[in-house]
Amino acid sequence: MVDVPLNILIADDNKSDRLILAAIVKKMGHRVCVAEDGVQAVAQYLSEKPDIILLDVMMPNMNGQEAALQIKSSAGEDMVPIIFLTSLQDATDLAKCLDSGGDDFLTKPYNKIILQAKINAFSRMSKMHNTLQQQRDLISEHNDHMVHEQEVARAVYDNVTHSGCLNLPNIRYMLSPFSVFNGDVLLAARKPSGSMHILLGDFTGHGLPAAIGAMPLAEIFYGMTAKGFLMDAILREINSKLKKILPIGYFCCVCMVNLSFRKQQIEMWMGGLPDFYLLRHDSGQVEQIASTHLPLGVLSSQSFDTQTQRFSLRREDRLFMWSDGIIESRNDEGELFGETRLMDIFQRNQDQQQVFDDIVHEVNKFTGDSGKDDDTTLLEVKMVPEADVGEVDIDMSSGMITGPTDWNMRYTLRGETLKTFNALPMMLGILSDVPALHGLSGQLYTLMSELFSNAFEHGVLGLSSDLKKDAHGFAEYYAQREQALKAMADGWVMFDIDHRPTSGGGLLTLIVTDSGDGFDFAAKQVKPLGGEGYSGRGIPLITSICDSLEYLGAGNIVKVTLSWQTKGLEE
Amino acid sequence: MAPLNMPQISELKDLMEDAFADLIDTYLSDSEDKITRLRAAIDSGDAPLCVELAHALKGASANICAEALAGLFKALEDQARSGNLSPMSGAFSELSDEFQRVKEALLGLL
Repeated sequence: MVDVPLNILIADDNKSDRLILAAIVKKMGHRVCVAEDGVQAVAQYLSEKPDIILLDVMMPNMNGQEAALQIKSSAGEDMVPIIFLTSLQDATDLAKCLDSGGDDFLTKPYNKIILQAKINAFSRMSKMHNTLQQQRDLISEHNDHMVHEQEVARAVYDNVTHSGCLNLPNIRYMLSPFSVFNGDVLLAARKPSGSMHILLGDFTGHGLPAAIGAMPLAEIFYGMTAKGFLMDAILREINSKLKKILPIGYFCCVCMVNLSFRKQQIEMWMGGLPDFYLLRHDSGQVEQIASTHLPLGVLSSQSFDTQTQRFSLRREDRLFMWSDGIIESRNDEGELFGETRLMDIFQRNQDQQQVFDDIVHEVNKFTGDSGKDDDTTLLEVKMVPEADVGEVDIDMSSGMITGPTDWNMRYTLRGETLKTFNALPMMLGILSDVPALHGLSGQLYTLMSELFSNAFEHGVLGLSSDLKKDAHGFAEYYAQREQALKAMADGWVMFDIDHRPTSGGGLLTLIVTDSGDGFDFAAKQVKPLGGEGYSGRGIPLITSICDSLEYLGAGNIVKVTLSWQTKGLEE
Repeated sequence: MAPLNMPQISELKDLMEDAFADLIDTYLSDSEDKITRLRAAIDSGDAPLCVELAHALKGASANICAEALAGLFKALEDQARSGNLSPMSGAFSELSDEFQRVKEALLGLL
């Protein structure tokens, strides 16, 4: 007897033959169903779903070979072993049986032992086939599931590591990931001040494991940039985050750039990336800029160094940045593209606007069909007038009137904290919780930083703004500032911030008080605020942003107000 | 030559148990019917029908362990396949005799 009884179809037009076969099969412990011709055999197959079919070759109505064909075609990918029953002896006839879809044959007179062995063999084969099918279906199901998950993950990833303001006219870029997920990351965001932060990162490896680290990196980059944090604080935060989350041996080669349109200057921090090229518009000269740091995620916060390199850029000067995928791309012979070929492109170039395209073209030509083996990223940043890149675009999607509108706070900076801590991002963050003010964060940043530096430098440190009238005075001013900073012991600056809702808008009142002696503001206000000189810059800027500005007390208190209307903002 | 292969038929008897009588009965009535139709097919010169019936009888006889009879049906099937039915009447009487012997032997086993 067998472990698992099979359902076996016997199709034979000869009744005595059927009786014998049925007796053998039943003795083995299987179930039997019978058919008397080919047509019945096909019908029985469809209704009884037998595991194995014993099929006579010569039958009336429909012969065995035709029945086999029909059964096999409706079985599809299910395995239904067919054993032909035949008294044919000729080898060619027997072979024909197998060609017509039979899996084996059994000659008359039937031999019990051989039939038993064949049924057992096919039973094992069927089982194997079913297992194989189940596993195949399981694998395909898992694969579908994984692909779907990857697509969802990709959507989340793309939302988090969005390209920010890479679409601005002074930027050209190419991101060419090796797989679904890119281990290279390219981010750009405008700062509240109007400058721009750009970050190019290349995580160890490629694909999903490399891409995962890009998510916290992008979160920190965009979040802190929007709040007005400076590059050193952002890099420090990213480094400590990556150090915490990346496994040993994994890190991120990064270049972060702070591009100031007003100062026409870039400030760069570069760790672990190949040399970048600065193409001077006037001379056509190329300056190479080398990494001076280890990649992010390697050093502890204590030993992490935020020292940057500064370069002044004239209009139309271009900075080219890339991940090592460009230099390390290979041709059919496994040769690397290399820095020499890259430099050649710059040397041969006649039209600076074409350099970017030339690089893409040359690298593609070089690699040909040999296929990629790493993510490749290329970026060109050009110095342009700030007007070309427009106003800082702030997301107003959450609406205007929601959020905290009726509150006030006082924040006082004292002693060492006053000297070293940049409290502006934090205060700007609080102001930005008022959705309408979030839209004004650029102006607010300027306003707050002007008020603070006035209070701190002129008020607490007692420096005279008159010094800043020319370049020489400027230097003198900073020298005095250094001294005053060292000497200062117990100064303070206090911010009183008050926000109230008004009909259809709100009113922000800022009072900044410092521990200094104040000044004769009545006399100062008489002076024209024309603002050609260096020192004249602050106050006109403030008055252009605010509704009102007044000095109080001994001149150590300044009060500004700024009102907003929903209507005006939505235009 | 004995009409039946005795070791084989006794094995078949063991296998069939109580159904053995039913098998013999089925074989005999089925075969007698087919032999009658075969005779008619020879007389009417229907070669394809001769092939079909002779083939079926050959297989059934082999399964019932009647080797000599199966051999006669095979010869008849081959002859019918060639299309020449004329010598078959003579062979047919030999075949009828052999079938009678097989029938007696089978009934003797019950």
